[in-house]
Amino acid sequence: MNDAFLVGIVTFVYFFAAFMYLVAFVFRRTGPAKAAMATAFAGLLLHSSALIVRWIESYRLGIGHAPLSNFYESMVFFSWSIVFVFFVMKKTYRTSLVGVIAMFFAFLILAYVSLSGTVDCRIEPLIPALQSNWLISHVISSFLAYACFTIAFGLSVLYLFKHYAPAGFARALPDSSFLDEATHRIISIGFVLLTVGIITGAAWADRAWGRYWGWDPKETWSLITWLVYGAFLHARIARGWTGMKMSLISITGFISVIFTYLGVNYILAGLHSYL
Amino acid sequence: MQKTIYTFLSSVRLTIFLFFAVAATSIFGTIVQQGASPDRYEEMFGGKLLSVLTFFNVFDMYHSWWFTFLLLMLSVNLAACTFRQAPRVIRLAFRKRPVTDDAPFVSSPIRKRFCSRSDREDLERRVSSFLVSLAGAPVRAEKGDASYFFAEKGRFSRFGMTLVHCSVLVILGGGLVGAVWGFSGQMTLVEGGKSDTVTLFSGQGTVNLGFDVACENFTVTYYESGTPREYKTDLAILNNGETVLNDTIRVNHPLTHGGVKFSQATFGVAGGYNFRVDVIDEAANEESTVRMNRMKKHALPGDDLSLAVARFDPDFMGRGPAALGVLIRPGTEHDIFWMPKDLPIRKGSRIFTFRDFDTVYYSGLQVNKDPGVPLVWLGFILIGAGFITHLFFSHVRVWVRIAKVDDGHEISIAAQADRNRDTLENKVNSLVTRFQD
Ligand code: HEM
Repeated sequence: MNDAFLVGIVTFVYFFAAFMYLVAFVFRRTGPAKAAMATAFAGLLLHSSALIVRWIESYRLGIGHAPLSNFYESMVFFSWSIVFVFFVMKKTYRTSLVGVIAMFFAFLILAYVSLSGTVDCRIEPLIPALQSNWLISHVISSFLAYACFTIAFGLSVLYLFKHYAPAGFARALPDSSFLDEATHRIISIGFVLLTVGIITGAAWADRAWGRYWGWDPKETWSLITWLVYGAFLHARIARGWTGMKMSLISITGFISVIFTYLGVNYILAGLHSYL
Repeated sequence: MQKTIYTFLSSVRLTIFLFFAVAATSIFGTIVQQGASPDRYEEMFGGKLLSVLTFFNVFDMYHSWWFTFLLLMLSVNLAACTFRQAPRVIRLAFRKRPVTDDAPFVSSPIRKRFCSRSDREDLERRVSSFLVSLAGAPVRAEKGDASYFFAEKGRFSRFGMTLVHCSVLVILGGGLVGAVWGFSGQMTLVEGGKSDTVTLFSGQGTVNLGFDVACENFTVTYYESGTPREYKTDLAILNNGETVLNDTIRVNHPLTHGGVKFSQATFGVAGGYNFRVDVIDEAANEESTVRMNRMKKHALPGDDLSLAVARFDPDFMGRGPAALGVLIRPGTEHDIFWMPKDLPIRKGSRIFTFRDFDTVYYSGLQVNKDPGVPLVWLGFILIGAGFITHLFFSHVRVWVRIAKVDDGHEISIAAQADRNRDTLENKVNSLVTRFQD
């Protein structure tokens, strides 16, 4: 079976799951919430199998490698990471709204790669610099971190929304303090994962280019992202900032994530323009 | 005054400022190309702007005085902060309260109180096992007719954050060591060539390694699509002309010698060819294969004989490639002869066959020396350990008091955790429910 076909199905499953979570949230019923969770979980399983199918397929082509090496593969893995992180962290959130956020972003990313038709989904052989085991740990930790930051971004946008939306609408949204706390939690996990991502990236750079840090744009942007979220954690833990300011830092951090992931390749040039 | 400076230097306010300052300024260096030639900047900016940008060293900004200053400030901030926090962290980790203290039952974030009719001994046994499953073996004490229990675990987790903070200092220290005592440059070696000189990046001159690095052979293979699959260089390290080490390096598989790391970076076509000639020596009954570059003598086994290729014609008189061989014998005339490919040519007791030729490549090596790397690795490991401590452990303290009341005993429970408080609260709740049955 073709993995791109599976990814196409998963796209719709995630859309459906997002919709169900939305229904569950609006009507505050457990029935739809359970159905949404089952749908999302089925999506995650199917998504995982798509990754495995692609992995096997690459070996069949004689260029075997983990499906983490080009733009298409990284986007598919990004989406997977969001759903995975959501399931791991699910217990912390007692609202379907986080489900809406996670499934919506997971859907959006897959929709872009599988429906836009502009993303090349062929399995490509690995160029020598990518032939490293560090690549796998580096990509996994980085994208799990990005996934955390994506969910945090969704929560922060909701926070702003709640602040500015008309009162009746705002009341339907979860408490500000809940949004604030949930954002902080997921960012502290994301921060640790990003640190691991940067460390494994440094180890890989040391093998491949002989230096662990060289200030190339991708490295620098990952540091910028790390600093923004570092500022977030310290502002909150040690200075007790909450609310508006924190949402703005979280949103700034996410813009930095997107720039690290995409902007560097499409806007700036550097050693890292593989993904 | 000194105190205010210390307070300022150890403040988290400064940390947040520095984080944003480093982040914001770093953006410049990703937009303005770093380390290009001065002419190029002249062309791009020119005039006044150029002199301002040059003053701020924007073209090598990550090594500029002001960026270095920011990083230095961050290190000072981190050290001062850690130092200032240390007494508090130690106190929290090791503070001993009398077990019979009643304060926790009033002030702890997690508190429970209920009554039980069970007899005292049974209660105490159950309290003990309850505590064991939460926080390890309890200490017991009595005051009046009440008994107090206290259990605690994960004290070390208080140091997780301290460890993270110290590791960052170790990593920055490693970076400093590398910047002061290390270098970073490149070497371009043509197949068959050698060199002992590294050209430093950003035009800071050259470094003499004190030993020679020779490129014996370079090979590249391609995927069907034409992108390189693998390229590698057979390197030899020579000390005073003696080979001391042979190794093959590929991308992601560097060679380290004498603290200097050689990584495969680039390659290209140097021009010209390498030749392969089979030599059969009938007199000595020996066969050998000779690889050589054009215009380089190659000594043959046996007599004082050497062979060289003086010319190469890819299409010799319309009949394919041929090499012009020169047989050099000391004291006599050179013997010069064409060797069409795969055609054995006899000279005396020897038969020469020109078998093959291939393009001469050059191999681009990145050469780094960084004595700070071990420190950086150490810092990475420590920061990992710090995060694990921070994420997965927490300092849990649980107090229980059993006090006599009219129709039984009142049991009070208090619990504190520095992190993951909900997890503890859930555990306490479920244990209490079981307790009450
Ligand atoms: C680049 C360096 C730094 C890194 C990577 C770092 C990392 C962290 C992390 C991950 C936390 C935990 C946040 C949380 O639990 O959500 C933390 C807490 C903290 N950091 Fe830093 N930090 C750095 C620099 C600093 C500096 C310079 C200061 C001091 C001025 C500082 C002061 C603190 C304080 C007071 C806390 C709260 C500790 C607690 O849990 O009691 N940090 N830091």
